[in-house]
Amino acid sequence: MTVSATNSDSRARNILKAIGILPVVLVLTCVLLALYEPRFLRTSNLINVLRNASFLSIISAGQMLVIIVGGFDISVGAIVALTSVSSALSMVGLASMGIESAPVIVLLGCLAGLVPAVIVGIANGFLVSVLKISPFMVTIGTMTIAAGIAGYVTGGTPIYDMPELFTREIGRGKFLELPYIVYAAGIVLMALWYMQTQTRLGRYFYAVGGNEKASRLSGLNTRKYIWLGYVLSAFLAGIVGLFLTARVGSGEATLGSNLMLESISVAVIGGVALKGGVGRIQMVALSAIFLSVLSNGMSLARIDSKYHIIIIGLVIIIAVAAESYRESRRGSNV
Amino acid sequence: MSEQARTSGIDLRALGPHLLLPLAIVAVVAIFAMLQPAMLSGDNVVNIMKQSSLFFFVACAQLVVIITRGFDLSVGANVSLVSVASSMVMTALIPSLGGTAGIVAGVAAGLAIGVSIGAVNGFLVAYGRINPFIVTLATMSIFTGVATTISGGFPIFNLPEAFSFAFNQMTILLLPIPLIIAALVAYALHFSLTRTVHGRVLYVLGDSNEVAHVGGRRVKEHLFLAYITSGVLASIAGLLMTAQTGSGEPNLGTSLVLNSIAAAVIGGASLRGGTGGISAPIYGALLIVCLSIGMNLQQINGSLQPVVIGAILIFGAALDAYRTKSR
Amino acid sequence: MNVETTTPGAVAAPGPALIEIARLDKSYGAFKALEDMQFELRAGEVHVLFGENGAGKSTLIQIICGVQGYDSGDYRLFGEALSGLTPAVAHEKGVSIVFQEFSLIPDMTVEENLFLGHEMTRGGRLAKSAMREKVQAVLDRLGFHLDPAARVSSLRRAHQQMVEIAKALLWDCRVLILDEPTASLTDQESAQLFDIIEQLRAEGLGIVYVSHRMPEITRLADRITVLRDGKFIATVNKADTTEKELVQLMTGRTFDEFFPHIDRTPGDTVMAFDDVTLQSGLAENLSFEVRRGEVLGLAGLAGCGKSEVLRAAFGLEAVKSGQITVNGTPLGKHSPRKALSSRICYFPSDRGTEGLAMHQNLISNSTIAALDDPVFSRRKMLLNRRAETGFTEAMIDKLKIRTPGLNAKADQLSGGNKQKLMIARGLSREFDVFLFDEPTVGVDIQAKLEIYDVIKTLTEDGKAVVIASSELAEVMHMSHRVIIMREGRIVGELDGDAVTENAVLSHFFDHDGTENGQGAEAS
Repeated sequence: MTVSATNSDSRARNILKAIGILPVVLVLTCVLLALYEPRFLRTSNLINVLRNASFLSIISAGQMLVIIVGGFDISVGAIVALTSVSSALSMVGLASMGIESAPVIVLLGCLAGLVPAVIVGIANGFLVSVLKISPFMVTIGTMTIAAGIAGYVTGGTPIYDMPELFTREIGRGKFLELPYIVYAAGIVLMALWYMQTQTRLGRYFYAVGGNEKASRLSGLNTRKYIWLGYVLSAFLAGIVGLFLTARVGSGEATLGSNLMLESISVAVIGGVALKGGVGRIQMVALSAIFLSVLSNGMSLARIDSKYHIIIIGLVIIIAVAAESYRESRRGSNV
Repeated sequence: MSEQARTSGIDLRALGPHLLLPLAIVAVVAIFAMLQPAMLSGDNVVNIMKQSSLFFFVACAQLVVIITRGFDLSVGANVSLVSVASSMVMTALIPSLGGTAGIVAGVAAGLAIGVSIGAVNGFLVAYGRINPFIVTLATMSIFTGVATTISGGFPIFNLPEAFSFAFNQMTILLLPIPLIIAALVAYALHFSLTRTVHGRVLYVLGDSNEVAHVGGRRVKEHLFLAYITSGVLASIAGLLMTAQTGSGEPNLGTSLVLNSIAAAVIGGASLRGGTGGISAPIYGALLIVCLSIGMNLQQINGSLQPVVIGAILIFGAALDAYRTKSR
Repeated sequence: MNVETTTPGAVAAPGPALIEIARLDKSYGAFKALEDMQFELRAGEVHVLFGENGAGKSTLIQIICGVQGYDSGDYRLFGEALSGLTPAVAHEKGVSIVFQEFSLIPDMTVEENLFLGHEMTRGGRLAKSAMREKVQAVLDRLGFHLDPAARVSSLRRAHQQMVEIAKALLWDCRVLILDEPTASLTDQESAQLFDIIEQLRAEGLGIVYVSHRMPEITRLADRITVLRDGKFIATVNKADTTEKELVQLMTGRTFDEFFPHIDRTPGDTVMAFDDVTLQSGLAENLSFEVRRGEVLGLAGLAGCGKSEVLRAAFGLEAVKSGQITVNGTPLGKHSPRKALSSRICYFPSDRGTEGLAMHQNLISNSTIAALDDPVFSRRKMLLNRRAETGFTEAMIDKLKIRTPGLNAKADQLSGGNKQKLMIARGLSREFDVFLFDEPTVGVDIQAKLEIYDVIKTLTEDGKAVVIASSELAEVMHMSHRVIIMREGRIVGELDGDAVTENAVLSHFFDHDGTENGQGAEAS
């Protein structure tokens, strides 16, 4: 390595190397938007962006965990739908059974909604870590099964009549001007940050994804951590499912159909390496904000929603190509 | 003396898929035939043959790429875009150029799109060295968007009857034309995979890019060509499916991706690359189509059908994992 | 073998038995890895496990540290008969092992790797500063100048090996197992390691040291257990045994019987390196010639760059400056494809990732380098499968490749037969130069002899042969000329009768007086 530029130049380069190019792009995008579309900075709009980013970051956090341990979770979108349907059905069912207290209905309904999500997560984890089936195949399989069940149970129509506590208060309510989902996202992100940087569990996720054999030789129960990754991803998808259902106001079997692609896009753009072993929640959160800002910007600029998906596809390619280029430049001795 | 290589007579492991899969297909047909005699009616058999042929092309597209240790998530988008674009070209040019020329132009446009999508995928995977999953995920988004955009989200009607006839209804010696085209393509693909240098290199690089490189082969070029092949095969499926529905549909290919991978894997191709022959998409397509048609006849709820396919996919992948482990 | 001057007082009287193994059997399916094995390790000794590749050394140490189980027999660890030993339990009891293969997490830092599986926590939180202190202490004690916060993937292979060694020594252990630890170390780093090992021995540790390199055994061993083909041959005291006796125990033959005599009829220069420096910096200022009709050997410790020289000759390593010429024509932008058409053939050291397509059959593997040849393909596009089959059958016959059939996949063959399959491609078209990179790694003795025979035939037919090998005996006895490399440079060239073990070894280590007693006297 030849020593080159001046001190300030290399310091800037070090900072850039540490945080990557994403924050810069995000700030630039926001600035450009603010200049060209003054409506971007309106409070209601910013809250919209924050809300979308919150949903996205929670589900992408789960995807990040699975990718870190070396897999994929294609079923997250279907888990959202399944949670939506089962929580709605439970709440309606509980009400019809004569239970009066709305908080009880909501609480039990939410729990009932999370149960199928966790079951799918356990199934995914088992098939991948114990039977050693390709994560891609497993989660595609569970996706079609979960989506199919959700569709079958609803017969194609949404499920209404959920308690107002759920749909109005939680779904559309705000605390200190911010929707509840933002706080939920904040909690999830902080919890994951703590896990990744301050606990053994966080390190073991990285280790298992980085070199499974070496982890086993160091005495780690790699099976356990891979399994846990899928369960956590499914659980977080379930949480998103609950909040989305509350916001939409009904149980829908088609809820979250875009989320699988979006969660993977967010993860990849957020620096989560597909080979596993690499990925930080801070970057994933930034990436979620970036994609939300981008979508918001495109809507404000009245770019047809048909084009959104094209642009997102292009952004993914650019992000991955940049990452691939950086890897080949850095090189490694392994 | 240390290790001796195992000796055995017939290679049972290689024979396995060729016994199990036809058996599974027969079993499926038999079970549904018992429940619904219409399963074996002349009309239904023709339907099965046609649908299998159509689906076969998409499964073939997957096979080529799966051999190279990748997969193609964009086949569905490919089909949709081809459907829409070829229809638009046909309906636009027929008034001025006449029926035949218009159809030819439409078909040519469709194939050209297939080549282009394949080229984009191939370039990014082979020369950009980007993970095929990400590349085809991105191109799937992009080309689905393009299909929706240029069609305005609506189907394109008024396709010439001659088109539907030539590519769907016509029969030669009682065999539907899609089946005949499928047979020809199957032979061509089989030939290219087993008897050409290109095919040989694809299998070797599916095992390891480095081994092919050290062996002096042009890895990037072969990989690029594989994705173009996949694109063309998917576009053929798109044209035939459009002929079947009689209109250009921007969502024609949406549900195809997962089923095509399922078909290839169940049929015997392995996701780790380097294995899989023409028998894989043949068996896989037949199995999935017989299942789907059987379930339709049995009037199993449309939502539950994917559940069955999903379960089969997991089962097939488990088998593949077991096969790989026992090496 | 003369006993070298070791640090005084380093050889203490060996203490109680730490490991006792008797009548141990272990099979992988039909393959018997260990048969009736016995082994004993005492406290305060360095016990070398000596044997060829495939002799069973790796399996034995994997059983000792709990990575593998065994089928039958006795294994007592610290006097206790155990069952179901796992790596975690073994580690807890005080068995530390440094594996030969890469066992670190590349994207994690040095300190994260060192503590993996045994992190220090305070109330659920990682005690990072405490861990940092401990890591620094260990690194200082070992004299390893590594940055604890550096990512492992950014380190050179030699430094990565240091991390693996530090990891084993981080925790108090009573048994330390080292599997070919000097594979990527320079001689200076190796010497540091040897000092540490002697220190640990003095502290009463029992050390199992796996190696087949004489200089290290000379320096370190108290006792040596020789394995061959999964069987126990003998346990001897180093002081009582000569090197020749050891090799004889290991191979069952003497040197003279083992290596064939190869006629030497040096012809014109077919390939030349002129002041070549590689882009990667792993080898610099290389100048030498390769001539027809003779065997040129490249010798040196692992990491010296000899492999990279061969790879550069074949177009697998980029050249920064200097020129490689073949038959007088300089090679510009080099690649394996170009090398093959320049009639250069290379057999990589890593069969699995570069040499053979493991899931393809024998035919595919044998003809892969010659698919453009009109014999095997019409117009370079259509395969001539009959010719391919004929060729492969001929190779199976000629090289005595043992296989279930033509359609067997490459990974179904044993190590030696895999190597022979790879060599078959060298006969698939006309080549002038043959580059063998570690030709007999993981190959049983019978196959080794057959491969040496191939080399003999090629050379006597007037081809130019280059062998790079980490096995001193092999490179010495097979080569007519030897080039010795150290840390990426050529440090010596010996010809004909001048190729003696002393002469070669003397070039392995530098003579600045920083080493103590390296060049062993052969007896």
